[in-house]
Amino acid sequence: MTTPLLIRFVAEARELLQLASSGLLALEKNPGDEAVVNNVFRSVHTLKGSSGLFEFVALTKLVHAGEDVLSAVRAGQLSLTSELVDLLLDALDRIGAWIDDIEHKGRLSDGADGVSRDMTAALRGWLPALPDASGPAQEAPRRAAAVEILDVDWLARIDEAARLEAFRACAQGHALLAIEYVPVEDCFFSGEDPVNLMRQIPALHGLLLEGTEPWPDLDTLDPYRCALRLRAISAAPQTSVEELFRYVIEQVAITPVAAHQLAVLAGEADDNPVYEDFVEEARDLSAKGDWSGLKNRTQALLNLTGSTLFAASALRWLDALLDVPAPDPSQVAVLIAAVIDGEAPPLPAPASTVVSASGRQERTAVEAGATVKSQSFPSSANPASHLSPIGREILEAQRFILESLLKPEMFPGQIGSIRRTVANVISGVMEKADCAAWSAACDASEAAGTGTAALAELNRILGSGAEVGAEVGATEIAQADASATVHDQRQAPARILKVDQAKIDTLMNLIGEMVVSKNTLPFLARRAENVHGSREMAREIKDIYAVIDRLSQEMQAAIMAVRMLPVSEVLDRFPRLVRDVARKLGKRVELVIEGEDTAADKNIVEVLSDPLLHIVRNSLDHGIETPEQREAAGKNPDSILIIRAFQEGDQVVIEVQDDGCGIDPAKIRAAAVAKGLMDAERAARLSDQEAINLVFAAGFSTAASVSDLSGRGVGMDVVVTTVEKAGGSVALNSVKGVGTTVRISLPLSMAVTRVMMVEAGGGMLFGIPMEHIAETVRIPRSRVKKIKQSESFVLRDTIVPLLRLDALLGVPQPLWFGDADQEEAVLVVKINGALTGLVVDHFREGMDIILKPFDGILSGIGGYAGTALLGDGRVLLVLNLKELV
Amino acid sequence: MPISFGKNSIVLEGECTVEEALPLLEHLQSHPKSKVCMKGCVLAHSAVLQVLIAARPVYSSLPEEEFMRRWLVPALKGAQ
Repeated sequence: MTTPLLIRFVAEARELLQLASSGLLALEKNPGDEAVVNNVFRSVHTLKGSSGLFEFVALTKLVHAGEDVLSAVRAGQLSLTSELVDLLLDALDRIGAWIDDIEHKGRLSDGADGVSRDMTAALRGWLPALPDASGPAQEAPRRAAAVEILDVDWLARIDEAARLEAFRACAQGHALLAIEYVPVEDCFFSGEDPVNLMRQIPALHGLLLEGTEPWPDLDTLDPYRCALRLRAISAAPQTSVEELFRYVIEQVAITPVAAHQLAVLAGEADDNPVYEDFVEEARDLSAKGDWSGLKNRTQALLNLTGSTLFAASALRWLDALLDVPAPDPSQVAVLIAAVIDGEAPPLPAPASTVVSASGRQERTAVEAGATVKSQSFPSSANPASHLSPIGREILEAQRFILESLLKPEMFPGQIGSIRRTVANVISGVMEKADCAAWSAACDASEAAGTGTAALAELNRILGSGAEVGAEVGATEIAQADASATVHDQRQAPARILKVDQAKIDTLMNLIGEMVVSKNTLPFLARRAENVHGSREMAREIKDIYAVIDRLSQEMQAAIMAVRMLPVSEVLDRFPRLVRDVARKLGKRVELVIEGEDTAADKNIVEVLSDPLLHIVRNSLDHGIETPEQREAAGKNPDSILIIRAFQEGDQVVIEVQDDGCGIDPAKIRAAAVAKGLMDAERAARLSDQEAINLVFAAGFSTAASVSDLSGRGVGMDVVVTTVEKAGGSVALNSVKGVGTTVRISLPLSMAVTRVMMVEAGGGMLFGIPMEHIAETVRIPRSRVKKIKQSESFVLRDTIVPLLRLDALLGVPQPLWFGDADQEEAVLVVKINGALTGLVVDHFREGMDIILKPFDGILSGIGGYAGTALLGDGRVLLVLNLKELV
Repeated sequence: MPISFGKNSIVLEGECTVEEALPLLEHLQSHPKSKVCMKGCVLAHSAVLQVLIAARPVYSSLPEEEFMRRWLVPALKGAQ
């Protein structure tokens, strides 16, 4: 789980799944409820949409199938039966398990592609048949059905060397898979390259490339209509093959192959007396079980035999078969016979397996089949059976009954019941020959009146199942493991708690109150010392204060962290927006976003959204030129728009920087005069930066025409107002012809405000937001100069106007008796970019406060930002200097 | 261009992409006697292979790349 998008997807998917399943349950009770149908459909539809963002093909396909079914239900083409609901719920559970996998491992569990294909086919099976049978909904189940009936006759057409290789791989314990891939005709247009997809099959042991139909005349051949059929043998696990074909899984059939199916003999017949000697000797050795001796003889004869001969083919297979320490005697026997018979049954298939006849040896296939039936060989170690764990348990129970419980008087009834039970379990799972063998063994047992024959056969079935099932069953086991882990993980899934913002705000307020009440402790300590004369008490209170102070600070930080969001919340939509707007305007813009994980308080991030939109639109519309203009100006036709977010002190800063035409101060001056904002003389006196800052003035727009993007004159002034309301500031920097940078600074959090307390009006306390304060100075009264009614003083060669806070607040001013040495406490503040001196009575300490804006009837009073409670219970009025001055 | 057409020969070299299928087919249609040299071909798109399988031209050389030599040559030669 790396990307935040994925984390959000997981959370959202869980919610949607929950909605869908509860909706489905409601629907089962009341199938006619359209609103619920719509809800369920919408949930699944949304899930499909968002899953498409990721590489979870199996999941998306399954959700898509579910969506199609629900869509049919919604359209009234399909009624929602309990079976269908079961199927849908199963699918939802499966998806839920995958979502858990995604959360924990970042990917789907192994085998997901196969599971998805099966479930998808099952779901699509419910869809009503459309008149147009070529639709994808029809295609999928048809192809999926091919999996079961996959015919593997074509194996014989793979060259013998490859088959021998596969056979040896199988003997070493690798299960073999036959893969048949018939790409859709237009697959070249969707970028598929079927042959080179086959190239990637791991452990490939054979590949056939054929046309699906006879090739047409070269003149009528359409090179871009795929008419290929691809078949392969692989010794790789089924899951990895499915993974490889995940995009075309519905066009692929995969089936396990038993090794003996590969052993199709071919070659020229000849008659050589040597064979007879060999066969005699070989039978002898084989009867003794001297496999290595037999192998030596086989190889010796093989060297003497022409490689194209049928006998050589038989010998090669015999050689391969003898690679295993304990080969199957019946298979050995058939191969030995094949050496001398020349045209003998080429199929060393043991009794347990169905003999598949290759086209070339049709004549002998019938005989081979007959042999199999009549002889009932002891089965090979490889009957390609895969018992389910439950089936195995049932069979073992039957074996137990046969072994111990069988009483002579009850025998006829019991053997019948055992016979039926076992037959039910193995039919369909095992090869037909196995079923036949079981039935024969039961016949024998019934005739003999003892369970011995049946028991022996059952042992064989169970024993062989154990060996063979291993590889094939590995998938099942893996799945069982996976579901087990899924189950474990479900015990403690990482949950995201969605909380109403108001609750967090309440917490925030409460912690604020606590910080304030904590501040009463130092007062209390002082009181204990001064009033009650207990120093020790005072010290203890201070100790406790230190602890509570630390805890409350940590708590405050923790609650603030809850509210912190990365600015990417806002920035995420810009790539799309910039692309669309740039296209519309015919401009070429490359957007670069930096520092998107910079975090800030939720409110701040939300405040950023609209101003940023204005600024980016402005840049695209007015700042960045068309490619032609840019080329004419000698710039790269692709412009670069950078949105950069970073933290600077306790401020979060967002810069939007373009390399466009910049703002021309001369134009701004002219526009200001034309709009009557100021006279020409004053406009001429403005510095370039001041002129540029005029774009922040209300009702100012220099764009020649009003476009639908920007330029209606409600641009930058709205930006400034919004940002300032949130306690931030906007700065604009522009160089004509080079580009423009707009910089928005906002406090990281609006929750805590740092203020400096000052005393004015004869002992009243006021708070002044720290961000306005430039410095504090004390100047002698003699340095205060009066210019008409206004006072001012010189601070480092700059004339700074001087205002008295008492006067601003309407408090009577203390009298002054002309002592020129008396100093004034002057707070130098920066308001709207200009320095102003504010005369106060005394400076007091700075502190962090939780600012509470006025509400009720007080909210109309100007000049105040709000109030805060002080530690000693007094109310601190915080001034809004911009309104006041 | 991974495919070059001579008077009586077609040489496939390197990686032949899907775009090559049509020119190859057209050349085979107009010059059916052309001999195909695939010695240097290491990767051919299915569409290219399909044209070759359908056309069954005479090969002056076969691909030497492992996968193609092992599994695709029988199909190209139409041995099956």
